[in-house]
Amino acid sequence: MKQTGAYFLAQLKRAARLLPGQILADFAVCACAGALAFLLIAQGASAAEGTRYRIGMVGDLSDSYLGFGIAAVQEMDDSRFMIELLPMSEQEAEAAFARGELYAVMRVPEGLMESIVYGENDKFVTYTAAQGQQGLGTMVMGEITDVASTLVTCSQSAIYAMQRTLADQGRGEEIGWETDKLNLALIQMVLSRGGFSEVEVLGYGDGLSLELYYFCGMILLFLLLSGLLNSALFVRGGGAFSCFLKARGVGALRQVLGEYFAYLLLVMAGLFVLCLPLTFGLERELVGIPEWEGMGAAPFLAFLPVLFPVTAMFAALQLFLFEAADGIVNGILLQLICGIGMGYLSGFFYPSAFFPEKMRAFGELLPSGAAQRFAQAGALGKIPAAAWMTVFAWLAVFLALTALVRRNRMR
Amino acid sequence: MDVEIAGIKKAYSRKKVLTDISFSIGAGSCAAILGSNGSGKSTLLSILAGVRKADGGSFFYRGTDLLREPGQIPRTLGYVPQGDPLMEELNAWDNLRMWYDRETLKRELAEGALKMLGIDSFLKTPVRRMSGGMKKRLSIGCAVVSHPGILVLDEPSAALDPVCKENIRQFLDAYRRGGGIVLMATHDAQDLELCNACYILRDGTLHPWRYDGDFHRLAEAL
Repeated sequence: MKQTGAYFLAQLKRAARLLPGQILADFAVCACAGALAFLLIAQGASAAEGTRYRIGMVGDLSDSYLGFGIAAVQEMDDSRFMIELLPMSEQEAEAAFARGELYAVMRVPEGLMESIVYGENDKFVTYTAAQGQQGLGTMVMGEITDVASTLVTCSQSAIYAMQRTLADQGRGEEIGWETDKLNLALIQMVLSRGGFSEVEVLGYGDGLSLELYYFCGMILLFLLLSGLLNSALFVRGGGAFSCFLKARGVGALRQVLGEYFAYLLLVMAGLFVLCLPLTFGLERELVGIPEWEGMGAAPFLAFLPVLFPVTAMFAALQLFLFEAADGIVNGILLQLICGIGMGYLSGFFYPSAFFPEKMRAFGELLPSGAAQRFAQAGALGKIPAAAWMTVFAWLAVFLALTALVRRNRMR
Repeated sequence: MDVEIAGIKKAYSRKKVLTDISFSIGAGSCAAILGSNGSGKSTLLSILAGVRKADGGSFFYRGTDLLREPGQIPRTLGYVPQGDPLMEELNAWDNLRMWYDRETLKRELAEGALKMLGIDSFLKTPVRRMSGGMKKRLSIGCAVVSHPGILVLDEPSAALDPVCKENIRQFLDAYRRGGGIVLMATHDAQDLELCNACYILRDGTLHPWRYDGDFHRLAEAL
């Protein structure tokens, strides 16, 4: 044990020698990531503000009622913030659709308004979208078209009923005037309608807001990839040192433990470096997390200890990957591939709730998935025992595997 | 004889590297193990150093079978592998402090084995700035921490300049004359001048051989 302690202290000295360079690298990565995140958020916000579904309208648009309806929707209805209706020719629509400038094309058949007005119902508006766009937007459009059809059908029924009643009462000369009045009344009612439903967005990851979800995801990604910044600690001169240690009575597991604790301190240092700009950003409200709004950096500093077990697990994973790879270059490549792959599958880049079921289940099984669940539970203030156990089980597995690889390499 | 080695065997999967290694050496002796690349010299030395496990056989040192009691090896045997077992970021002092306590280290640097190796002249030099000879001397310095009775070296003079080789040879000669046993794998004919026993490792077994200074005969024997 004395030799293991001496080896740990020597590794600690190595880590201390490497620390200034590593801190500079951490700062550089934080600065780059921060600038990138700022640009992405700024770009995303402006894009979100300017994004509307552009729908081309072709066919017989000459009817004044239809023209009035389109104008009313585009000028007065709330849907104008989401949908832009663009009257155009068939050729223009085809070209714009092919260029991806249109979300869909709405084709109005000739004589549609007559068909509606006279109650024939033999002409239909066709709505065309590309295969790749048959997502939520198409579903919403389908619903809107359906609502519009129902409104038109019902309002026309009311108008026919009124016309029949007036004719039965011998007031035929009032039919035109009353029809116009009713039409306007119906349009006014429709356009000034209030919402009859309310959508409440809980967020992702069992109640986290999207901002906090990504906040956790980005910190975990940084920790997962921190092996790339700390790779200098894994530069070794072949297996001579391991063999020498073994000959001095320091076995594979003790070697690995000595290296692990020194390495963990380097990763922890990286985490603290990352925390500085985040604390500053939260304190100055440059980083907006809805759950922590108006509380400054205090909730983040309280959340920080939650990251320690996850950091310990990722450090063990990185140690294993460097041990399993043959040489430092292969080790760095393996870190990169595993980090990005695991991060993606476990939803660090994109909420895993949108992934297919099997992919999501696989992502949750990975160590990165365990870390994600642990951190999210920590952010919500309660970490279940199963999450603790999973993180520590992965940690133990990685240390054991590292020791096994080391032992096999020496033999 | 102080060292009695008998019937050591080792195979990697189906490939038998060592089939029957047997020899003995007395105190104050130096034995060289010669052999072509891949003949199993490093495997044999690492088995004796307790790094690898033998499939069978015994390694008695003064009545104790070190293969059965590997816990005794660090106190009995110093091992210098082919590569340098040093931390590149640290200096000589820090590397030695891994194995020596402060007082012993100071004493050894003043009048012991480390003084003989001349390590006191480059104590503060980081390993990455050391020459090959300095690294090798430092590696030996780390290996002799427990004043072992046996010193096992894997190609100690590989890629060193003649002056460094001579320094190391002088140390090994002094170590041998002090009653230690030196066992080394080597390709260097000059190292053989130090040895009073030579063995050629071929087809998994050791063959006693006498070096008479004829390098061409040595090359043919390998």
